[in-house]
This record gives sequence, structure tokens and C-alpha cells, in this order.
Amino acid sequence: MDGYVLTIWLVRILFLALLYLFLFGVVRTLVRDLRAAAREPGTELGRLVVVASPAGEPAQGTSIGLDAITTLGRDVNNAVVVDDQFASAQHAVLTFRGRTWYVEDLASTNGTFVNGVPVEGVSPLGYGDELQLGQVRMRLERPRR
Amino acid sequence: MTGPAAVRPAPPAARRPEPLKPVSRSISQVGIALTVAFAILAGGAGFWQVFQSEELSTAPDNPAVIAAARNVIRGEIVDRDGTVLAMNKTDSNGDPYRLYADRVVAPVVGYASRRYGTAGLERSYGAALTGLNDPDPIRNLLRKFQADPYDPQTLTLSLSLPLQRAAVRGLGADKGAVVMLDPRTGEVLALASTPIYDASAIANPDTQEAGFAAVRDNRDEPLLTRATQGQYVPGSVFKIVTAIAGVGSGSIDANTTFEEQPQAERDGLVVNGFRIREHAGVPARTLDLAAATEVSSNIWFALAGLRTGGDNLSEYAGRMGFGEPLPFDLPTKRSQVTKGDGSAPGGFVDDTELANASYGQARTLVTPLQMALVAATVANDGQLMTPHLVTAMTGKQGTRTIDPRRLERVISPDQAAQIKAAMVRAVEGDLGRQFTSGAKVRGVTTAGKSGTAELGGEGAPHSWFIGFAPAENPTIAIAVLVERGGRGGERAAPLAGSLMSTYFEMFGR
Amino acid sequence: MTAATPALPGIFAGFRPRPRWREFQLLAIAAVAILVGSISLGLARQEPELGIENGFSFAEPVHLVIYLGVLFGVHAAQVLTGRRTDQVLLPAVALLGGISLLLMERLPQDLVVQRFFGSALGLAEVQLIWLCLALTLAGTIAIVVRSDLWLRQYKYTWAAAGVALLILTFFLGTEVNGQRLTLSFGPVSGQPSELLKVILVVFLAGYLSENRPLLVEESTRLGPFAIPPLPYLAPMVAMWAIALGIVVVQRDLGAALLFFGVFLLLIYAATGRFGYVVLGVAMFLLGAFVMYQLVPHVRTRVDVWLDPFATPQSSGYQIIQALYAFGRGGLLGSGLGGGLPTVGGGQPGGIPEVHTDFPLAALGEELGLIGVLAILGIYLVVIERGLRIAASAGDDFRSLLAAGLALVVGVQAFIIAAGNLKLIPLTGITLPFISYGGSSLLVNGIVVGLLLALSDKGVEPPPPPKPPGRIRRLAGKVIR
Repeated sequence: MDGYVLTIWLVRILFLALLYLFLFGVVRTLVRDLRAAAREPGTELGRLVVVASPAGEPAQGTSIGLDAITTLGRDVNNAVVVDDQFASAQHAVLTFRGRTWYVEDLASTNGTFVNGVPVEGVSPLGYGDELQLGQVRMRLERPRR
Repeated sequence: MTGPAAVRPAPPAARRPEPLKPVSRSISQVGIALTVAFAILAGGAGFWQVFQSEELSTAPDNPAVIAAARNVIRGEIVDRDGTVLAMNKTDSNGDPYRLYADRVVAPVVGYASRRYGTAGLERSYGAALTGLNDPDPIRNLLRKFQADPYDPQTLTLSLSLPLQRAAVRGLGADKGAVVMLDPRTGEVLALASTPIYDASAIANPDTQEAGFAAVRDNRDEPLLTRATQGQYVPGSVFKIVTAIAGVGSGSIDANTTFEEQPQAERDGLVVNGFRIREHAGVPARTLDLAAATEVSSNIWFALAGLRTGGDNLSEYAGRMGFGEPLPFDLPTKRSQVTKGDGSAPGGFVDDTELANASYGQARTLVTPLQMALVAATVANDGQLMTPHLVTAMTGKQGTRTIDPRRLERVISPDQAAQIKAAMVRAVEGDLGRQFTSGAKVRGVTTAGKSGTAELGGEGAPHSWFIGFAPAENPTIAIAVLVERGGRGGERAAPLAGSLMSTYFEMFGR
Repeated sequence: MTAATPALPGIFAGFRPRPRWREFQLLAIAAVAILVGSISLGLARQEPELGIENGFSFAEPVHLVIYLGVLFGVHAAQVLTGRRTDQVLLPAVALLGGISLLLMERLPQDLVVQRFFGSALGLAEVQLIWLCLALTLAGTIAIVVRSDLWLRQYKYTWAAAGVALLILTFFLGTEVNGQRLTLSFGPVSGQPSELLKVILVVFLAGYLSENRPLLVEESTRLGPFAIPPLPYLAPMVAMWAIALGIVVVQRDLGAALLFFGVFLLLIYAATGRFGYVVLGVAMFLLGAFVMYQLVPHVRTRVDVWLDPFATPQSSGYQIIQALYAFGRGGLLGSGLGGGLPTVGGGQPGGIPEVHTDFPLAALGEELGLIGVLAILGIYLVVIERGLRIAASAGDDFRSLLAAGLALVVGVQAFIIAAGNLKLIPLTGITLPFISYGGSSLLVNGIVVGLLLALSDKGVEPPPPPKPPGRIRRLAGKVIR
């Protein structure tokens, strides 16, 4: 095995090795991303995904991050504006207490429904439950990590 | 936008609508699907680049093989005595070309031409002859790190040039084939196929055009190696296959007789309304296996085949290599018991075809090499050895020998002995001698079976003989086919006898 | 790219540089790999038997400098503008492009010769120009595009443009190698089907995100499969018809397969309904069967795929040569430049159209199985990165758009790689980022650019599908 052949094969194998080094670098980046995401304190506590919204606001399919206290209604000062003719100005409020979400109907004209059942007073709300204000239906989901 | 989702405000429907899954979930499923798809791609690449790599990179048509063959000095090819069959010369430019010792080996050795590619062993062993492929897998892997990677291998054949010459001389001007092999090892000693051709003329750059044109334009197709690629109607030699299947499956034995047989010898045997007639010279008396083989009774073997059944016949023929190209150093065509498109057991159309096939006259087609293997199976006590030509490869790194390998245990030694006895009687028996005159080797118990393949229409039949000797301890098995050579006993049997005599003169008993 | 970007707050207003160390690290590895590859190629070109040996040398150092310059230029531009886009996508694509450049330098240069201002440019030079343009295009889109309104709002306009492009190609396209793919306007010519795939994705993302709830709705049950309301199946049927039209009129099996494949995967991503996939595959099989019976060139392709060795000197020649190349490569390959000298082109023993249709086979010969697996891995990185961008995008439109763009690259790479490896019939589409070809590289540049732009969390939230004016009311509430 002479010097030339040895050199060229070392270079060739180095090239292949570098391709894998690159892939290794990418994988390391991905792992770091995942770790960082796990460490990062979740700023959102839950999300509302809009299932149906005939008036288009909030837009259907939109996903809305929630604070510990989130107000819903037609008024523009609400955290989530529900522009629906059957919704009241101050319609309902979502609160996160301990580990659970609760929904409270703020004496709205047409009521608030969880999975089709009218809310009376304060009612717990689980992930996957469906909330209805007027014609707008939204589903509560786990926060994104 | 309105759709089914736009319901009246309140109260909402009691049935809870199915929640809309977030797209992120189905997107990650799509990601998994694509990952699987790419894993399949990786598997495909691994298949071609690892499992099929050697076969692909040494394929005769691979441009790398062709390119290497241009510059590399090919290894020599020598016969069993060390006589060089294929050697190298250099032309005026200093480039190598091939010269062949004798035309009689052309069907085996083939040619290697710069313009017309390769044939024969020059083709199938091209990678080894050019040294493109090291037989040692580890060295083969490390080869690319070496400055001079080529290690051309010299091929040592089991072929005997004198015997090959005798076989070609014996075939004379006829088209035909002779295969002689050692039944104990599968080593092929002669593989003649006529007409022969001038391979040196094709390999020599000065004469290659004329040399190749002469072969290509010859209507007798010298490039068709009849011994391995000619497909012929077998005639009565196929009765040995029927006997092997019948005895092997336990359907018949040496003492089997058929009640209706004597009458049918005179009046013909009616199968499914089709009347099978006997050829002249078969006495109308009750026959057993040996007697039926001796007089070559079509009726007896038709009955034996019917009793054996199509599935057994196909099964035992398949064990000897029927139905697939044979594993051999040269390309082979497949032999068939039947076309296999029928609905009856074994792929036969009906009992009529089975009955006719049992004595070798239906849609049965065989190669001479295949029939030599049938003889070798009986000779070697029912055990078939893989036929081969190349016994050793010698390169810079030394010699690698190719040892005999068993191809298949076809029948038991006891069963083989029954058929052997029948084949001995076909050559040595009082009546048998009339059919197989001349096959007998003086002083040696000879076993065999002649065949006369009726082709219909005008012209002489194909002349066949298969056999082996000495019957007690066979060292040589033979198949002879002469196209349009007449009755088996007239042409093929005497040639086989004389070639086996030559063999015993050369190699002793 | 001059389309309206109405919500652009001004490219230069208030940007501040933001380092991108991960991208830099990965780019550095990619750059070193390309340099080493170039040395490997340079060494292979020497002939020690003839005494020509001049130590280490790069093959075509000028090409290398230009390519790496553009690469780091794009990186620097992203750093300076402070975009928070994905940091893996660009290096992965750059490495694929680098491999492409090495391959094109290694192949016979006269495979492609373009006259350019009086000087003739060879294969590698032309490819270098397209690669640089594609990277620049990707970088520019990543920096400039901050709103998706121009895609979201005009989806039907885009669809119309796409159909117009298709019809134009049907009637005015020039035939090359029996395929009607190329559209020429004066000196400029290109393959519209490349652009069409992006337009298709934009339209589908818009259509599917808007009608998602309706498509999930089930009204009919067909055995075990829930079928959505029949009117919503219309687009599937239309898509199917378009794909068949492409097969018949353009004779472009690859594009048809790509469009239909991306369509099916995207509709699954949008609905999560397996029934669509089953239905789509059933329609595909039906279409494929009919095409096989009726269209001669489809039958040829399939027959060649089933048994190329039946016609080793004519229609089977190309794939057989490719398989030989894969086989010669084995595990480790012959090294760049170490393969068969006649590879490619019309030369005897070469793979015809190696630079467009069979780059993977050439790479398989020279880099071996190890190299092929690495390349497949890099494609997988691009795909998974794209799908990750999709999964964490702001809303359904963005998710589906990003997923579609990633799928366009992934499915296309799969189809041609599988064709090269004789896993499916061969189709004449390009291997993204590696095959020679301007249209393909530029469009894939656009794809990468859009993916990068979509990956930026810092840009404005997706707007509601209403006229502007109401945006303010929701701003800051939707998606943090």
C-alpha cells in the first residue's frame, strides 16, 4: 500500500466521516432544543382552539394562549374577543386555580355551555372539553411546550 | 361561510361533535411515515450495495468489468492435466489478446474479444480471470486500498482435453452434444457441443470481424452450446426419470408388473380416449422394471407414470434440476417434464400427457447436461453432485480449490440399485443389446439407456444415450445426443461406448 | 417575489444583529466536509503512475470559494437582520448543494454547455451559478418575507396562475426526451412543474385550513371508512384528474406522482382522517391501472422497472447501468473521482442523464452505501425540520403551508431515490438540491426560504381572514 493510495483513502474516509459529523451535530442540536424546551417554564397555562366561529372572529382553527385569568366576550377589552351576535359584552371568565381550569358565566344573555351543558356559577373545565359562547365553540387544550 | 357547523345559538346539540385534532399531531404522523419511507430507501441501497454488490460489480456486462478486461492480462485456463487451453498473446501495440489451444474447447472456454465481448467461461468467470474479484471475501474488501488491485486468477478445469477431442471427433459432422462427468464428484471431464468454432479468430484483433461474422452467420448456430442450452425431446432416455420418480415415491419397485400391459402391447393402451401404441420389437408378455427397461416398453412406463402420478414425476425430476436452470459454471437452459400450465397434478394437462411424458414423448424437453445428471444420480447411489468445470483458481495469493458439493439426495441407495440393475440389463441383457448395440465397454459392466426422440414429420429422430460404468462402482457417467442421428442404438450408444472405453484407457478403471 | 408584503414594518427599521452560533457551527462542519471532498476529488485526478503528483490540491478552488462565500454571506445576512429563523435548515441544504457541486465537478463537463456572454460554461460552472442564486433567493425570502398575507389571501389567484401555467405547458411546451415539460420565453426557459408544486402547496394550505372542520365532518360511511360530505371530495377528484392529465399530456410520471403524493399527505395532515388516504390510494391504483393499459409510455416505464434485463441495450440500459454503479460502490464506494471514468453522458458504460436523473447512483458508486445513507439522512433532517416548523407554526394555514413545503422536498427526494434504487418505476424528476437544473434549484431555494420565514417566531402573528383594521383588536392576544 503506497503513500498516495493511503493518503487518498484517508481523505475519502475523512469526507464520509464529516458527513456523519454533520448529522451528529444536527442531532445534538435537536436534543438541546428538546431539553431547552423542557426547562423553559411554560408561559401559557392552556390554549383555546376555535372549533366553530360563524362570524369569523376569533377565526376558526385559531389557537389562543391563555393567562391565569382570561376574560371572554364581545367587548374589545376582553382577553379573548368573541365577536358573535349571541355573545354578551362580558360573557365569561376562565380562571386557572391550582391545577385546574374553571369557567364562570358572567350572567350572559344566552349562557355559556361546557360540552353542551349550561354553566351555572363556577364549573370546572378539563382539557378537551368544549366551551360554547353564542355560536362560537372553542376547545380547551394543554399548553404547548 | 355557512356549513353544517353553523348551528343555531343555544342550546347546542346534545351530541358532542368530534373534536378537531390539532394539525401538529397528524403532521408528526406524516413525519413518521416519511421516516419509514426513507428507511425503506436505506434498505434498498443496502440491498444493491451490500447483498447484490458482488454479483453486480462482476457482471460480464458491467462497464467496469469490460474496461478492466481491456488492460488486464487475463489468467490462463488449463485442463486437468495442466494443458493450457487459453493463453495470452500481445499485439503490435503491446495490448494483450487471447489465443486458444484447440477449437474443441470453444463451447466450454468461449472467447474474450475486445470488440465482441465474452462467451463461455471467459464470460461467466470474467471477474476472476481479470482479477476484478478476489475469491477471498476479506481480501476482496481490502483490495481497493492497494495500488495494483488486480489479481488475475488462473482457472484449472476438470476437463480433459484428450477426452474432449475424442468426443468432438466422435460427433463428427453431426450436430450434437456429449457430456461426461464423474458421478462421485460432479466434475465434468468432457462437454462437447458441435459444430465447434474458431474462438481464437474472434479474440485476435486482426481477424475478429471475419471470425465473429463466420460464427454469427453460420446457420448451425455454433454459439449455442447444445450440451447446456439445447432443449431436446428426450425419447426413451426419459424412462429413467420416470423410474426414479416411481421407485423414489414408492409407487413402483423392481418387481412391479401391470395386468393390462401384455394385452396393451398388442392393442395399444387407451388413456382418456387416446391410444398409446407400442413401438416394434416389444414382446407381449408381462414385464417388470428391468425387463421393461431392457426392451424399452412404452406401455409399461406409461402405466408406471400413471401410477406414480404427475406430482411425483415433477417432484423427483425437480430434485434432479428440472424446472430451473442448473447450477453450473456455464449458463444453462431449463429442462421441463411438462410446460406446467395444465391443471392436473404436477402441471400436466391430463393423464394422456402424463402417460406420454412418462416415456419421453409429450411436451418434455431436456438438455444433454440434465440427462447426464440423471445418469449420474443413479450411478452415485441416488445422490446428485453439483456439476462443475472449475476445480481451482490460482492467483498471486495462492490456490483456492473448489470442492465437490452435494446438490440433492434424490433417492435412497437401495432404490438407486433397483434402477441401476435395470440399466445394466438394458445394455448387457440379451434383448437389450439389440437396442443399445455398441454401448457396452469391453470388460466393464456397463449400464445405460438409449433413446430415440421422434420429432414428427420427415427426417431422422434424435439419437440419445445415457449411461455409466463400471456398474459396480461407477467412475464415469455420460449423456450423448446426436441431432437427427437416427435410432439411439445406432448412433449415440456406440459413440458413448467408445468414449467410455477411451476414458478407461486414459484413467484406468 | 415582488408580491405585496403589506404588513412589512420596514426591512431595516429597528433590526439588531443576533448571533446564530448553531447555524455557524453546522455551516462550518459542512464547509470543512466540502473542502475535504474537494481535496479527495483533486487527489483522485492525479495520476501517480505518470509521475503527476503535486500534493494536496483542491478541485476547482475558485468554485469552492464562490460557493462558500455565498453560503456564509447568506448566514451573515440573517445574523445582521436579527431574524430568529431555523438554524439547521440552511446548513443541511448547503451541504446537499456542496455535494452537488462536487458531483458536477466530477462528471464530464461537456454534459451541459451554456453560452454566456461569449464564454462557454461547463456543467459545474452552470450548476454553481444556479446553486448560488438558489441560496441567495432562499436567504432573501427568509429575511424579507414577514407576512403570509400575500399567500393566504390570494390562494385562488395562485391556483388560477398554476392552472394557467399548466395549460400553457400543455399547449406551448417544447418536448425534451419525449416529455413536454419545458416552457420557453425567448432566451429564458424553465420547467413550470417545478414552480407548480409550490403553488399547489400554497393553494392546498389555504383551502384545507379554511375547510378543515368540514372535511373532518363525516356524513357517509363506506364500510369501515368514514367518508366526508361528498362535495368536499371534489378537490380530490380534481387533483386526481390533473395528475392523470400531467401523465398523459406531459408524460411526466414523476410530477404526477409528486403532486398526488403531497396532496394525500397534506389532506391527512389537515384532517387526520385515514379514510382520505385509503380513498386516495384506491384512486391512485385505479388510475395507475388504467394508465398502464392505455398509455404506452407508462407501460414501458413499468415494464422496464419489472424486468430491465429484458431489454438491456435499449429501455433497460439506464437503470441497469445505475444498478451496476450502486453495486460497484459497495459499502465504502470508490471515492470521489475514483469511479468508472466514463460515468455519465453518452459515453459507453455511462448512465445516460446521470446529472439530472441519476445523481444518487453516481454518488452511490463514489461514496458507497455509507455515503448514500448519510445523504438520505440529510434529506430526512430537512424534512423533519420542515415538519417541526409546521407543527409549531402559529395557525393552521402556516402549519399546512410549512408541512406542504417540507413534503414537496421529501416526497420528491423519495420518488427519485426510489426510482434510482429500482424500488418503484423510474420517473424523470430531479433530486432536490443535488440534481443539475436551474428551475429545480431555484424553486427549492424558494421552498427553503419560505420555510425559514415561517420558522421565525418573532414575526407578526397570523392575521384573521378579515380586512386589516381589526388586526389591532386581536394583536397580542392570539398566539404568544
